[in-house]
Amino acid sequence: MTEDTNTGSAVVVEGMSKFFGDFQALYDIDLTVDYGERVVICGPSGSGKSTLIRCLNQLESHQQGTVVVNGTELSENTKNIEDVRRNIGMVFQSFNLFPHLSVLDNCALAQRRMLKKPKAAARETAMKYLEQVKIPEQRDKFPGQLSGGQQQRVAIARALCLEPQIMLFDEPTSALDPEMVNEVLDTMIGLAETGMTMICVTHEMGFARQVADRIIFMDSGRIVEMNEPEIFFTNPQHERTKTFLGQIL
Amino acid sequence: MFDFRFYEIWRESDFIDRLINGVWISVELSTAGGVFGLIMGLALAAAQSSVSPSVLRYASISYIEGIRNTPFIVQLFFVTFGLPLIFNYRWPFEASALLAIVLNFSAYFAEVLRAGIESVHRGQIEAAQSLCLTRRQTFFDIVLPQAFANVWPSLTSQFVFLFLTTGLISEIGVEDLTWSGRYIADRNFRDFEVFIVLTLLYVLIVFGYKAIFSLVQRYAFRWRVAR
Repeated sequence: MTEDTNTGSAVVVEGMSKFFGDFQALYDIDLTVDYGERVVICGPSGSGKSTLIRCLNQLESHQQGTVVVNGTELSENTKNIEDVRRNIGMVFQSFNLFPHLSVLDNCALAQRRMLKKPKAAARETAMKYLEQVKIPEQRDKFPGQLSGGQQQRVAIARALCLEPQIMLFDEPTSALDPEMVNEVLDTMIGLAETGMTMICVTHEMGFARQVADRIIFMDSGRIVEMNEPEIFFTNPQHERTKTFLGQIL
Repeated sequence: MFDFRFYEIWRESDFIDRLINGVWISVELSTAGGVFGLIMGLALAAAQSSVSPSVLRYASISYIEGIRNTPFIVQLFFVTFGLPLIFNYRWPFEASALLAIVLNFSAYFAEVLRAGIESVHRGQIEAAQSLCLTRRQTFFDIVLPQAFANVWPSLTSQFVFLFLTTGLISEIGVEDLTWSGRYIADRNFRDFEVFIVLTLLYVLIVFGYKAIFSLVQRYAFRWRVAR
């Protein structure tokens, strides 16, 4: 990874608030994520976890405060938002693979459109990442022919194909059957071992404990607690965190 | 019991030639109308997307509502007799018929396609955005193929229905299948037999069109069958 242009942190969020009409979804969020760091965000549903990471690649726009990703400040008027997004891969809860394209073309499309790569080179890169997620033999199938776990791994490969510096995961295992959760988590652990900067919204506490450098707990649009896993699990500081952990562990 | 005399049609080679020519004209105009109507319908549907300027959006909606809420025969007469007066220029009736068909088909197609475009899941667009596709790329690479697949059966039946209304172009003297039937019946006075033959020919043409539509479906949308 070449980061000569990106001295400092991968993500710097300061005083960010987000509104949906009159409803305030996020209150005064401060968050810094360094390169190579793995951050897990958890919290009850409706607490703003997904909204927070969607603000990091402008799928949602914030109304107050600043969001700086890879050294570029994001706003609704950010020019070349594509250049910012190019460095941020995103994996969705419902996979969102393109159903009309083969696995290989799902991975090759953005490279061909965004990076203007020739077909062969795009497919070569696609295969490299399909191998990384251990699914190269499915390349000619359509997403609808794959299991949920396989689809999510393809989605991870697809995001990696633009060779991003940051990966966002929005509840990547929540829509999966239980026996498919582990294959996706293993893929994510493998990715973490390569030194990728990762921000994951997930309720998989085993994964969080094993991989995360920091765990963030959110409730009602606020960051309630932020700590390294050891402290977060053994000695949570806030009542709300304790209740939450009591319910899911 | 009515005495059917189909030989009153077969015995005149002129009648047979008229029927063949009628089938050809009907198919030719409807197919061309279908293709151009689809392109224009696509433009009309795309103009209604939430990102297009509101002037364009309202122009498209007004046009579609205008066409869909007036009779085809009125549109046909307007194009055939009204437009030449406005432009002070005459063109063949076949051209008028084709223009009327395209204008009419496009409004109906636009509504079907709009439904298709709206049926594409929001997550698809977000995934395309997160992969840095531009709006145009997202529309053509991601939204449109799925939109077509989602509404292909509706598009098929809409086209078949519209094809069957094209018999009205015989009113301005275009020698289509309906016109050929009238021509024969006016000469042999066997209206019942003639219109039974016309019905069969229309049914055969519809079967042909449907076969083409399902061929496209099987090839272009095989990812849908696959799941």
